[in-house]
Amino acid sequence: MSTKTTRFVKIALIACALTLIIAACAPAPTAVPAPTQPAAAAATQPAATVAPTAPPAPKPTDTPAKPVDIELWAQATSTQAPAPPDDWVGYKTIREKLNLNLKYVIIPTGQDGETKINAAAAANALPDFFQAVSTTNARNKVIDLNKQGLIAPVDDLLKLMPNRAKTHYNNPASLAMAKIDGKQMAFVEVPNLPRREGVVIRKDWLDKLGLKMPTTMDELFAVAKAFTEKDPDGNGKNDTYGLGGFFDGTWGQGNRFAFFFGAYGVPDTWDWDNTSNFGLAVRNPNFYKALVEFRKWNESKVIDPDWATINRDEFRIRWPQGRYGIMWEDFCALACVANYPKFDNNFPNGEWVALPTMKGAVAKPYYNSYGGLGSFFAVSKKAADAGKGPAIAKLLEWMASPEGYYLLGFGVEGVNYKLDKNGAVTTDGLSDPTKAWNHESMARFTQMRNQLIYDNNPNEVLARYPDFVTDKSKKPMSPMAFYKFFSTQTWQDSTAGNLIVNPSNRADLQRFYNENFQAFALGTKPLTEQTWADFLKALDANVKANAWEESARKNLQDAGILKK
Amino acid sequence: MFRSTNRDEWGFQLFVNGLLLIVLLIIVIPLWRVIMTSLTPLDVYMRGGTPMFQWPWEWSFAAYEQMLTHPTFPRATLNSVIITLCGTALSLFLTVPLAYALSARTLPGRRLIIALILFTFLFHVGLIPVYLLVAKTLGWTNNILAIIVPPAVGVTNVLVMMRFFEGIPEEIKESARMDGANDLQVLWRIVLPLSKPILLTIGLFYAVHYWNEFFTPILYLNDQNLQPLPVLLRNILIGQNFSEYVDYDVSRAASIESLKSSAVLLTMLPMVLVYPWIQRYFTKGTLLGGVKE
Repeated sequence: MSTKTTRFVKIALIACALTLIIAACAPAPTAVPAPTQPAAAAATQPAATVAPTAPPAPKPTDTPAKPVDIELWAQATSTQAPAPPDDWVGYKTIREKLNLNLKYVIIPTGQDGETKINAAAAANALPDFFQAVSTTNARNKVIDLNKQGLIAPVDDLLKLMPNRAKTHYNNPASLAMAKIDGKQMAFVEVPNLPRREGVVIRKDWLDKLGLKMPTTMDELFAVAKAFTEKDPDGNGKNDTYGLGGFFDGTWGQGNRFAFFFGAYGVPDTWDWDNTSNFGLAVRNPNFYKALVEFRKWNESKVIDPDWATINRDEFRIRWPQGRYGIMWEDFCALACVANYPKFDNNFPNGEWVALPTMKGAVAKPYYNSYGGLGSFFAVSKKAADAGKGPAIAKLLEWMASPEGYYLLGFGVEGVNYKLDKNGAVTTDGLSDPTKAWNHESMARFTQMRNQLIYDNNPNEVLARYPDFVTDKSKKPMSPMAFYKFFSTQTWQDSTAGNLIVNPSNRADLQRFYNENFQAFALGTKPLTEQTWADFLKALDANVKANAWEESARKNLQDAGILKK
Repeated sequence: MFRSTNRDEWGFQLFVNGLLLIVLLIIVIPLWRVIMTSLTPLDVYMRGGTPMFQWPWEWSFAAYEQMLTHPTFPRATLNSVIITLCGTALSLFLTVPLAYALSARTLPGRRLIIALILFTFLFHVGLIPVYLLVAKTLGWTNNILAIIVPPAVGVTNVLVMMRFFEGIPEEIKESARMDGANDLQVLWRIVLPLSKPILLTIGLFYAVHYWNEFFTPILYLNDQNLQPLPVLLRNILIGQNFSEYVDYDVSRAASIESLKSSAVLLTMLPMVLVYPWIQRYFTKGTLLGGVKE
């Protein structure tokens, strides 16, 4: 190669590199084309005559001439699915009907999402309307943003959305969670079905061993022991456990064994029944009794001994393999069409049935505690100052109208769903079943549904969790039957726990608490009244649990939950 | 005496080879496990987890299929390729002149400049100031420059390359200067042709960094059409983990573990393919740059 040619090649390579760099500075590339949803569908929205949340659409009386740009940051309902494409019918309809240019940005779940919000807050670059995400406490996030003067009150906006207030903001206790100094600083959306988990037991194992359904903790122990020792699956191997679960990284027994402690009246980290001297549940003598019993179960090896180390995924590999006879599980993870077949394929004759709250240990037992709130959504101060508040209210009100609710929650009528004669959403009779609203490939068109659209009305819930017949055993399954049973048990309301501000030493306190709990439960530390009393003293002396309790009492008193 | 030496040598060889075998197994076994997990059919996995060995005719590529047929996979891959190519080109474009200039012992203020560069290495300013600069001052939200430019110059890479340039005999450069070459010509015509090992090595370091870049795209790229591959893979995996909230018809043909493993292997693949090609330069490059005479 001559010198000239070499030089030319080198110059060409540099030019290519620089071209790439310059090209990278160009604006965003063209959107990925929308795979399926027809753009012309806006006109075909359902009349929604029977929708339970179907208030009339707001009249566009104050439509401004120039479209208002609204940037919305929210998590996705299906993180594995992409965001809606730029030519999505939802954007088009919002532009045409509300005169708004909506830009929906999906923020990541977990710590990454919180970091993104924090960074934007630090740069005073928060979007107009956003989900105040937090890995620990969304209310605290709202408090922080309010302290920084970055969000605006939404009291006036609530008045602009009378219909949505009825369907989505109808729980004053929930809304109160985002009230600061008497001002509503964020919208608290509808939570994903509360009280959706419960205790289930293998009925086929009970029948095989000739056992009755247990109703007390003593009977439950006897059944668990038989499930562990008497080869209930008849495979000749000692490979089953009475009770299966895992520690979910929260506090003490965690959510999976909370029903066990609930039978002793102390399902939660906090002792909500003790309003005169509110504090951690470990102070309640019934907690000690429950722990003694829990230790007995562990020492008898009727609980899968891996519970302290396995995670949820491993747990959900084990129960469809027939390892457990009793467990605490989410109704959909247990019985939905996407999940149950794993068990059904292995055990076509297997049958899970729901267990009620176990009685006998204390006078007032609980199934578990519940306190989940919906997402917190705030309006940035910048957007409020720019006069975008009413536009945001208009958007939210439209999302609760029949047109917005169905379009953003289920897609286009006739293409992605149909309404049956009772007004319920169905996918029966769709010409292309792969375009059904609940087909995985359609998830990108309803990404906002869990955060801002759904309101848990009965028709909606039935559409989301439909009955089905299993492929292998041809057994009819009704996820909603499990949900109805679970949700109607006696649950302890711990919603006010969201008001409690985490202590600065939360990580140390939680580690100390959990390490000791597991040592007592697994038998690596003697459990006597004396050792338990020593632990409670150490909680105060080593990690200042008493200071946190004092501060928690103050948080609840300030909110009017506890008397001063 | 002769026998004793032979026995010592044999013992030494046994020890070294045994040690290397253990190291090899430590590396190969987890990798093998990841490969097997990615290929385990769902029904086999649900019955008993991942077996350590499966015959090829038992393999299932469902996890790869699910990853590769994701609607935004091609776009995300292209974004990652653009970020990696542009980032590596820019990084080398900036690192080479800086390292070359610093390798000249006669450079006025050389020690001070090196100290200042080291300062940025030892004391990182943290996330928020960088975010303020990139997103607010420069306005690079939704611009891949936000991913490419901030990490464009790696201090370690500059120092390693500087040491390599220092190792090139001054006489070669001097003779070029005597023939009338200026500093840029010396760099271009003399130093760079002699520096292929370090260019490829440092280029690979930069390429791996950009290819795996995950957090800054989350921070700066709101437009999903700009998201690179690692972000997409993360979203797919997180989505699969929320099975209790599944209210749609998931056509899941692979286990979550298979999906995770296939994601790991898919992300590794381009870099694994590049390694053999530049391996012959690799040791030479880092060793020469890392040793000061």
